[in-house]
Amino acid sequence: MRLPKVEDIEARIPRPEHFDESRRGLPTTSRVGRALGIAFGICFLTGMWSHFQYTDPAWLPIGPDPAWLYRWSQGLHIISGTAAVPLVLVKLWSVYPHLFARPPGKEDKRALVLEALSRLSIGVLVASSLFMLASGTLNISGWYPWDFSFRRTHEAVAWIAIGSLVLHIGVKLPLIRDGLDASIDDSDNHNDGDDDGDTDDSAGHTSRRALLAATGAASGLAVLLTAGQTVPFLRQVSVFGVRDGEGPQDLPINRTARGAGAVAGATSPDFTLTIMSGEQSVTLTLDDLRALPQTTHTLPIACVEGWSRSAEWTGVPVRDLIAMVGADPKSTVQFRSTQTRGAFGSSELPSQFTEDSRTLLALRLNGEVLSIDHGFPCRLIAPNRPGVLQTKWVNKMEVVT
Amino acid sequence: MSTVSFGGISPTRLALGAVGVGGLLWGVWSLLDDGTEALVSLAIWLAGAIIVHDAILAPLTIGLTLVAAKFVPPPARMPTVVAFVIWATCSLAFIAVLSGQAGKTGNETILGRPYALTWIAFTLLIAAAAAVASVVRARR
Repeated sequence: MRLPKVEDIEARIPRPEHFDESRRGLPTTSRVGRALGIAFGICFLTGMWSHFQYTDPAWLPIGPDPAWLYRWSQGLHIISGTAAVPLVLVKLWSVYPHLFARPPGKEDKRALVLEALSRLSIGVLVASSLFMLASGTLNISGWYPWDFSFRRTHEAVAWIAIGSLVLHIGVKLPLIRDGLDASIDDSDNHNDGDDDGDTDDSAGHTSRRALLAATGAASGLAVLLTAGQTVPFLRQVSVFGVRDGEGPQDLPINRTARGAGAVAGATSPDFTLTIMSGEQSVTLTLDDLRALPQTTHTLPIACVEGWSRSAEWTGVPVRDLIAMVGADPKSTVQFRSTQTRGAFGSSELPSQFTEDSRTLLALRLNGEVLSIDHGFPCRLIAPNRPGVLQTKWVNKMEVVT
Repeated sequence: MSTVSFGGISPTRLALGAVGVGGLLWGVWSLLDDGTEALVSLAIWLAGAIIVHDAILAPLTIGLTLVAAKFVPPPARMPTVVAFVIWATCSLAFIAVLSGQAGKTGNETILGRPYALTWIAFTLLIAAAAAVASVVRARR
């Protein structure tokens, strides 16, 4: 018995031509790729929009109107990402045989370098794309099995994914055009000639047409069965949705009072709200707050995880509260929470939200006193803001500018 | 030739390439401030994504295809492929809620549905639909 040589092992590794190509090939890859490119494009743009809504860049002053904007953009982000899961899997399946293509011979150095670069860029594209979908899916279900900051990393890798995708489109453009121009029924394996428009040939080979239909159906079904947390009329249909839209006072929650370490501070009989502006300050008890003129508005809570739900909020307009310390309605206000654990214990409300009369320090939700998990005794609610910036258990408001 | 080209590559493709490389580098650059622990964790995830797909999921699919090609009679092939594509890709899309690992935060407003049971029903429904379609095709 002799030890196997490199050539023996190589001979056992399949070659691209060993794979069944009857359903793969350019017509399949280009069509699934086009759908995937659209889904990734929407996902990238809505994702970047979400980062803008968080960071409020000076060059893009996002305002309170329309109140439903973040609800829609973030819902679309999660929906396009979910739709992309079946698409990316079928896309990768369709090109998997290329993984086994043998590198060009050593004598052609230029071809070898190009091949290495091409493989590297595709490796980056595949790794970053799968990472985006996996990390996003895990994040919306509240599972974080990693040691990096989700928000920062999901944003940075999004640039890597979209960059390598655009590069990939540039490299493959002639092939993509050929693939989209070619008939979906074009196949080397189709030799029976009884083209009756059926979805497979007499030997029982499934056509590309059936495969593409299945891929589209899978993509649509994945959305339908999860999107109910965003799209109200799908609530009963979305049996795999992370949220069913239920919760205390008919509204789901992201972080519980216990999880945020906010119970003691929020339920203390000595609770007070302090409002500050420069040298001036005023301290209000809960009874003082309840005695102020209240207004009611219907506004959605829309979270980065893609769920959203409208509710009826009653409380004191923030502009009225800061007027008590002589501040202009057009002021930036810092909100601090009694919470002792976790991120987003404070938020900064840009002036365009502060001056909007719908921006409330809410005391009541859907006709009842706020439950502890919704931010009792009082919380911020403003139109068109990401959910985590709607600070709960507020005990300090400071006018910044 | 009237078309402008650079070494045989059209300006459109060059522009796409430049924009793509620019976005890619921006992403890499914005990661550089992160600590070693975060970067190692990210590297494990990126490499893990390729390994899980290329070395586990894809070969498994190829293997199942070969088995199916041998044992599934012709009228049942199309329904089997369609059912498998839908079942497998959707199951992966739902993997977080199916894992039983997610959302352990003491928050009762998330993950409140019987996902495992639903998934079994989902699987049976798809299998039943494929079986019915196969029988109908066989009779035709």
